[in-house]
Parts: sequence; structure tokens; C-alpha cells
Amino acid sequence: MTEVIEDILILAGLVVLTLAVYGVVRMPDVYTQTHAASKAAFLGITLLLASAAMSGDGGIITRALLIVMLLAVTTPVAAHSIARAARRRGERMRTPDAVDETQA
Amino acid sequence: MISDVIFFFGIAWIAGLLGVLVVRVARARTTGQRILALDLLTLILVGLLALAAGEDRAPYALDAALGIALLSFVATLAASRYYESRRPFT
Repeated sequence: MTEVIEDILILAGLVVLTLAVYGVVRMPDVYTQTHAASKAAFLGITLLLASAAMSGDGGIITRALLIVMLLAVTTPVAAHSIARAARRRGERMRTPDAVDETQA
Repeated sequence: MISDVIFFFGIAWIAGLLGVLVVRVARARTTGQRILALDLLTLILVGLLALAAGEDRAPYALDAALGIALLSFVATLAASRYYESRRPFT
């Protein structure tokens, strides 16, 4: 039973990671790409780490928890930093009907 | 234990995703998109190491994953700060 859950978690993680890459390839500008790159990638890696933690090994579980907590803190910060840098350097919003509410 | 079919399919699939992202980094339209694609590439490398750790029951693969995650965060922050103001930290 555990093996089946591990396999399902891996397949789900692969699907979510594929969605993240697809979003980065297909989204028109960097502001929308940050959504796919930060949220979907974090969820996909969490699923893969959960599959590894299903083995029940204490060393793997603690390390997986550590990595998930670290990514939960760092991924949004990195995405925000990239989007702010792009905005300050004047990258255009290419999404249709995009509304820019910042002051330059 | 992960079944072998799923494991090798996952390794090949993640390698394909990494290849797509390398092309994406090389052909990005703006610098912001290039930094973002590099960040996602290193995150997916962490996923690959998680897959290897689950197959081998090997905690040391996750040590490497933790190091890569930390390095990716610092590198992304430094690159975007530098892109923003031409100085890493102001």
C-alpha cells in the first residue's frame, strides 16, 4: 500500500512541476511567470519530498521537513525580488488588460 | 519502495524539464525572465534529488538538495538585486 502512495505522490509531483515549466514557457511576461515558478514549483517539490518521506527513515523525514520549511520561506521572497527588479527596470506588462497600480 | 518504472520515467521526465528550462534560459526575452528561469531550474534540481533519495533510501541526497536550495535562494536574490540597482546590496 505504501508503494502505491509513493508512486502516486511522485506522479502528482511530476504533473505539478510540468505545469510550472509550462507556465514559465507560455506566460507572456515575467510578472505572470513568477506565479507559475514560485507556487507550482514549491508544491511539486513538496509532493516529491513527501514521497521520499513515506519511506519512514528518520533522517529523510527530518531533512525533507527542513527543505519544505526553507522553501516555504525563500520561494516567495525570491519571486517578489525578481518581480520588483523587473518593475524598477521598466519591463513591460504584456498580459492583455494588465493594470499597473504602482508609481513608476 | 518506488517501482522501477515510475522511478526511471520520473528521472527521464525531470531531465526533459531541465532541458526545456536550459533552452528557456538561453532564449529568454528579458533579464528578469532569465533570472526566473534559472531559479526554477535549480528548484527542479532539488526535486530530482528528492526522487533519488526516495529510491535509494539515502538521506545524504537530501543534504545536497538542502545546499542547492540555499544556494539558489542567495543567487537569485543577488542576481535580482544587481539587476534592480546595478549593486548587489544597497
